[in-house]
Formats: sequence, structure tokens, C-alpha cells
Amino acid sequence: MEKYCKHIRLSNDVQEIPLLNAFVDEICELNGLDDMTTMQMNLAIEEAVVNVMNYAYPEGTKGFVDITSMSDDECLQFVISDNGKPFDPTTKEEVDTTLPVEERRIGGLGIFLVRKMMDNVKYEYKDGQNILTLRKKSDK
Amino acid sequence: MKTTFEEKEGKYIMHFEGRLDTVAATQTEQEMKVLYDCEGHDIILECSNLEYISSSGLRLFLGLLKAAKVKGSKVSISGMNDNLRQVFAMTGFTHLFEFL
Repeated sequence: MEKYCKHIRLSNDVQEIPLLNAFVDEICELNGLDDMTTMQMNLAIEEAVVNVMNYAYPEGTKGFVDITSMSDDECLQFVISDNGKPFDPTTKEEVDTTLPVEERRIGGLGIFLVRKMMDNVKYEYKDGQNILTLRKKSDK
Repeated sequence: MKTTFEEKEGKYIMHFEGRLDTVAATQTEQEMKVLYDCEGHDIILECSNLEYISSSGLRLFLGLLKAAKVKGSKVSISGMNDNLRQVFAMTGFTHLFEFL
């Protein structure tokens, strides 16, 4: 697999999400991932990034979110970072997917999907930055 | 992202086309409002041309299902591709909707 390190910086505006999707598509293509995995990567990363765009910065203030991707023989990694308020998305409660419709809550699916689609999700707060690292093992 | 609404043989049918991502979800939410007035009508979400759905899209589907259930209407999904079905399976949505 080709080794690389790619980066994109988006402002905290969900209108920029199509740029993110294009970025993720490019990474997945570099890694030779199939359509289904590409879609799952897009979903997971979109969730994590939208979370930052919506909640990291006070309403009406400008901020950014950095997405850096690299891969090696063992795994594909995305690091999502921002300098907004400290927030650990991995501490959110689990979603019970077995509940009947009346009891299913509308929210909370985002981080649940991220966990489902990635093999490893790690959060740290360092030097004033939220750093969320998502890893997916390579099948090859 | 584009939706088209039709009423056919007493059923409310909405066709979804394109990518239902976080940006598109706001507009799609408005367009789906017509389905909420569904007393006496079952609903079919026609997804043959739906390419992508984010959790904001899943929330719209779940929200509609909850509202429809109260009114005694069934919500089915038709034509959904395997990639999307996989996402529905992961979130347990496959148990909630009927697939045609």
C-alpha cells in the first residue's frame, strides 16, 4: 500500500461537508477500498467532523477542524482535531439497537456509527486541542 | 439530493435520489413533512437511487416512523442498495422497517 499523509482543514460550517466527502473518497481510493468500506469511512468521519462543527465552538464564532489521514500496511488512520472546548465524544452512552421503535431515541447514533465502523477510536485533549483518532485495520 | 412525492393507490410514496448527508438533511426534513399527515395511508420510502445516508438522514427516517406508527400507518423501504442496508443493519433499523 502506498504510504502517504494527507491533510484538509475545514471551517466549522457543515456546508463544507462535501469537501470532506471528496477528501475521504480520495483517501479510500488510494487505499483501494471497496464501495461499501468507502461509504462506511465517509459516514464515520462525517459524523465525527459534524460533531466538532456543531459543538466545539460557541455559536456564531469561527473555528476550524483539521483532518489528517495516513496509512501503513496495518491500518488506515484519520485524526480529527480542533481547538474548541474539551469534549470527549467516546464517553457518550451506547445506543441499544434492539429496542422497539417507540423506545428508540432519535439522537446518539453518530458516535455509535463511528464506533461500529472503526476498529479503534481514541480521544485525547492535548495542548488545547481535542484529538480524535480513528483507526481501521487493513484487510490485506 | 432530490425527493419526489406521489400518492399511488392510497399509499404515500417518496422517492429519494442522491446523497442524504448532513447538509442535505435540513432540506429533506422539510420535504418529508408532507408524509407526516399520513392518517389512513401507508408510506413507502423508495430508495433505489439513494447513494448515501448519514446519521442525520437516519434520524429523519426514524422520526417519520415514530410519527406514522402513532397514526397506524406502516412505513416500508423499497429498492435500497446493499451498502445502505448494511448501515441500517448496524443501527438495528432493519428490525424497525419493513423492506420491500
